[in-house]
Amino acid sequence: MYAYDDYDHALVKSRVDEFRDQVERRVKGELTEEEFRPLRLMNGLYLQLHAYMLRVAVPYGTVSADQMRRLAHIARRYDKGYGHFTTRQNIQYNWPKLSETPDILEELAEVEMHAIQTSGNCIRNVTTDQFAGATADEVADPRPYAELLRQWSSFHPEFSFLPRKFKFAITAAGTDRAAVKWHDIGLILKTNDAGAIGFEVLVGGGMGRTPVIGKTVREFLPEADFLSYMEAILRVYNEHGRRDNKYKARIKILVEATGTEEFTRQVEEEWAKIKHIPIDVPAEEIARITAFFSPPPLPVLADEDEGVNTLAAKNFIFASWITNNTNPHKVPGHVNVTISLKPHGGIAGDATAEQMDLVAALADEYSHSELRISHEQNLILPHVAKKDLPAIWTDLDEAGLGTANVGLLTDMIVCPGLDYCALANAALSPLRRRSPSALTI
Amino acid sequence: MAKKIKGPQMILANNLGDGRVVFFTGNGWSAAPNDGAYAENEAADALLAKANESVADNTVAGCELIGAVVTDGAPYPAHMKHVMQAKGPSVRADLGYQVSTDWEAL
Repeated sequence: MYAYDDYDHALVKSRVDEFRDQVERRVKGELTEEEFRPLRLMNGLYLQLHAYMLRVAVPYGTVSADQMRRLAHIARRYDKGYGHFTTRQNIQYNWPKLSETPDILEELAEVEMHAIQTSGNCIRNVTTDQFAGATADEVADPRPYAELLRQWSSFHPEFSFLPRKFKFAITAAGTDRAAVKWHDIGLILKTNDAGAIGFEVLVGGGMGRTPVIGKTVREFLPEADFLSYMEAILRVYNEHGRRDNKYKARIKILVEATGTEEFTRQVEEEWAKIKHIPIDVPAEEIARITAFFSPPPLPVLADEDEGVNTLAAKNFIFASWITNNTNPHKVPGHVNVTISLKPHGGIAGDATAEQMDLVAALADEYSHSELRISHEQNLILPHVAKKDLPAIWTDLDEAGLGTANVGLLTDMIVCPGLDYCALANAALSPLRRRSPSALTI
Repeated sequence: MAKKIKGPQMILANNLGDGRVVFFTGNGWSAAPNDGAYAENEAADALLAKANESVADNTVAGCELIGAVVTDGAPYPAHMKHVMQAKGPSVRADLGYQVSTDWEAL
């Protein structure tokens, strides 16, 4: 996993101190709500229908067991004992008190987490394949590039006040598990005929009230030009994206209105102007970041396990769970386990503090202390030996986390909707909650 | 420009400290919508002006006039979104400030 250096620590800590001061000034009345609003949003703090909501960033959905335990502690200490995992692979808390949010941010900073750029018209958390680095069907681990994007976009002075929020997704797999075509920029990591790594670049995808599939503006962008080309796209959007109507301010509207060919021409023209600026990082820096994501050393194990087969033969639910909730790993004898956060009758994406603690403990024991969050609002134990599946499922099932429905209808993605969100028009959670469990199997 | 609301109106806000939904009573704030004051037309604007004094003294984060239905002299939010705010999340009757267990009956 990526580990903060001194610069990262200092940056996040200074942001916590700054926000603590801003909250104190708001409570004292030195800042009006109008003045405070953009400041709190820059720190992921919303005021929703019933309470404040704090959205915590989980870069590219990778989280350590210790970080998960801290998220559980925050749910228990500062919220109502649960958190909600989101489609941007983040977690949000629905009931924090304003005066306690700086304390939450300080506790997050201690485990190298923050809530920066989880709101506002800036570049949001970069999402990726939840099985990145642990699946056989990818050309490379996309997370180093997601981390590069995170570093480039964090506090980027030119892109902190874009026309609207901006979302990247990146995948390196043949199967797109990151929904890259529905993002402002979607990146598909690939190799060219010479074996060099690069990206197919898609722009202008999106969902919401105007769903659009992203358009390819570059079939193959060499790795060496990665950041400068992203900068060029953002510059064109920042200059020409609409600011008069928030419903028409996303880049998808600009690309549709301009036309893909003309938009691409503008990007290429902009890129030609800025290419000489040292925006792109040298190969050594990419290698340095990539080293943080080295896979754990896993032994090659037998693909069949007697314990798994025995339990599957006598327990239909376990057998279904094996079928639906495990994915092949690149190392034989291993799988990636998806823990469904869509229990029958439950709220999609919600997990209690106790469930988070359990999952962290399982990660310590079975998945090299590593966890992932998927954009489908589930949790993943990567790098699991098949022989450990019966023990893992038994523990999960006892905690209400053993639902065998990943990829099925009851695994539908559900935003908080009208139950919490000030922008929503529909209450979606009750709809999913009433989905018959018979749809699972 | 905000759409003009017809008929009875009441005032909804969020507490500054915890965001809890409250309704203006005419003299202060209550979590119970039935305690809320209501008015129509210019009188509603006057009520809002009075409620906005709480914004100035940092009791609440913001005030808005919302449509109300009045039954036996007791107002209640008219719009689904504001009903949701009055009752708390429909999906977690065990949580929320204004918890309600009768969501299923709606």
